Amino acid sequence: MIDTNVVDFEKYRPARLEVYAYKCPECGTLHYPAPMICKDCSARRDPSGVLFSSWEKVPLGGKCTLLSWTRVYALPEGFDARYLLFGIVEFENGLRASGRLLVEEPKIGMKLVSKVGVVREKIGEDVYGFMFDRS
Amino acid sequence: MRKVGIVGIGHTVFGNLSEFDLVDIMSFASADALDDAGIRKERKIVDQVFVANVGAGMLNHQTAIASSLVSRIDLEPAMAETVENGPASGASALKCGYTAIAAGLADVVMVTGGEVMRAVTGWKATDFVATLLHPEAEYNYGLTLPAFAAMFTRLYMERYGLTEEELAMVAVKDHDNGIKNPYAHVPYTCTLEGIYGSSDAQVVNNLIADPLRLYNMCPVSDGAASLILCALDSAKMKHFKKKPPVVIRGIGAATDTHCIHHREDPLELKAVRLSAERAYKMAGLGPKDISFAELHDAFVILELAISEEVGFFKKGKSRDAVVQGLTRIGGKLPINTSGGLKAKGHPLGATGVSQVFELVKQLRGEAEEGRQVGNPIHGMAVNFGGFGNNVVTTICSKE
Amino acid sequence: MIVDELEKKLRPPEMDLAPYPAKVITLASGEKMVCREVRREETGVLLETVFPLIGVPDDFYDIVAVRMYSEILGWYRYRVANEFVIVGAINGEIAGIVTSRCVDERVGMSLHTLTIKRGLRVGAQLFAAKMEHHLEYLNQEEVWIVAESPIGFRRWMIEYGLENAYDRYPATHHELGGVPTYILTKEIYNRVRDEKVTGVRPVPPELLATAESLRVPEEYPQLQRYRRGGQKRGRS
Repeated sequence: MIDTNVVDFEKYRPARLEVYAYKCPECGTLHYPAPMICKDCSARRDPSGVLFSSWEKVPLGGKCTLLSWTRVYALPEGFDARYLLFGIVEFENGLRASGRLLVEEPKIGMKLVSKVGVVREKIGEDVYGFMFDRS
Repeated sequence: MRKVGIVGIGHTVFGNLSEFDLVDIMSFASADALDDAGIRKERKIVDQVFVANVGAGMLNHQTAIASSLVSRIDLEPAMAETVENGPASGASALKCGYTAIAAGLADVVMVTGGEVMRAVTGWKATDFVATLLHPEAEYNYGLTLPAFAAMFTRLYMERYGLTEEELAMVAVKDHDNGIKNPYAHVPYTCTLEGIYGSSDAQVVNNLIADPLRLYNMCPVSDGAASLILCALDSAKMKHFKKKPPVVIRGIGAATDTHCIHHREDPLELKAVRLSAERAYKMAGLGPKDISFAELHDAFVILELAISEEVGFFKKGKSRDAVVQGLTRIGGKLPINTSGGLKAKGHPLGATGVSQVFELVKQLRGEAEEGRQVGNPIHGMAVNFGGFGNNVVTTICSKE
Repeated sequence: MIVDELEKKLRPPEMDLAPYPAKVITLASGEKMVCREVRREETGVLLETVFPLIGVPDDFYDIVAVRMYSEILGWYRYRVANEFVIVGAINGEIAGIVTSRCVDERVGMSLHTLTIKRGLRVGAQLFAAKMEHHLEYLNQEEVWIVAESPIGFRRWMIEYGLENAYDRYPATHHELGGVPTYILTKEIYNRVRDEKVTGVRPVPPELLATAESLRVPEEYPQLQRYRRGGQKRGRS
């Protein structure tokens, strides 16, 4: 009989696909991506949670507005597509993010919704990030 | 604060120099500067060397190149360090050199910037430049500098009605200047018809990152440039009798947010404005005093945007100046008389130094025929790092 | 010309290939490049143009040049089936050459692209002209393509989005060295055509006249300090 308490099967389940914003524990301001010092109340973050708290991860996503976009033909090494679209969006909570754009005819100001998908393949691991699509 | 002058300048041709070793290229420009200053035999009076370079580790598999350069040109036991500040490394190295002299730590400083980017393919070079972006929020997506410049251009076009034709006119002007510059990378001019007007222009001048096209951005270049600085009150000035020194009157630098999406107004280049304000303050000058300028046009839109942020033109109005010919050589405010990064080339570490090289050449009256600005007094160089998040401005004047 | 019995046996059967209608492209420098098919009597100029690059090991120029030299000679001597050669000329001076051939009515086999004038995307324009000929004027359905150089690979395989026939290798292989093949189908071509293919037809008579007499290039950027030794050949 195998002792099923020895193996941690959680490690083999795919992580919940989210992109996280970080919430300052002192003043509650949301940040994306995570800084070390809160720009509003100067609180410090500690990812190991030893000296200070490692800030709370809050899933970031949902409805957003497109601020600007581009279609890039000259992609860096590692990308083999003919072109990819990218955009910068603003979420309803005021946070902004860059990401892949899945809309072929984008317009500044259009309403989108964010998804999380594979945006880059690195050796041994996939990198997940924002993909913005029509709502 | 001690006054600092530039007493020697050197430059290699910019282009494809990938068959040469990085430190050899930088040594060549440094030796040129020593010769120009007339101190090849007395080279050991150089107390300090600052090297500007970004890619030695990633592209050329070399590190600690400042030490390597010192030995290559027999300058031991001078102090030597490498300064890395992305595309603004050159001006930052100059700022370090100035600071060393002003603090009294050195009397004579050599500043050399160099890069060999064509040792790798264009796609690796694009990836290398993209590493200056935020790793998680930007780089991972495959976003590139052209992508952000394109998004900036799109917003600028929407807000101020800039047209593709006006952007193309800036490129044509830059190439008209570059063709007269023997160091420039691009050996041909482009015509407005060739890159915008003809029925073939859409294909010949193809999109790189919509709406930016091939002829809206600088090439990938190798090359090096070098400057020799000396404290004007130092006894060592007696070595520099060949040519009158050009004075560094003002230096300013500033940073802005790393992530592009954190900028409050994405069209505002706060770091450019602040660094220019600081430089003006130190120099005791204002935008109206500047005779000519080298503005960091890695993307042609930046020549326009930077000229507005430093106060030359009102927001959205710089393109009128271009259309009226004010920024041509012979115009009221010549911009990028060297051809700019667009026609001259952009080896990342060398650019900031190369811009000041051009300021000195013009202020000395040594520019090639057809390229000389008439009676310049003050010149300004803006070296743009990251995508606007680290900018260094330098103002140089005739003594 | 009377072709004797033995020569007839050595020559491949010929398809009747429609001619490539000449076009002119305005390059970024404002120079006008006329793209047209070459005539048999121009073989000497073409070979003389290609020859110096056989000695240039950088950027795969040597292998492309020596293979193209043999293709042009093969076309001239009737030892390659259904080949055509298109040249790009600026004021008559050769800027680039492309070679290609038809396997049958359906399939084209792209051979080589060689550019002497650098920096103005001449190679991209001539490669596109080659594809234009196969798929629009010769009415073929697909063209098989390989690349010797990594730059060629990125420019064509990725920028066009060519179909990768690697899984059908070695049954499907390009005749150039028997290597795995990429395919430009009519469907892919139609998708990218407007981005890749350009030019004005018909060529204005005065421009066509400049390309009437082809000249070997005065300068080769690929060869440092190279100049044709004192020859005034080809100068009008």
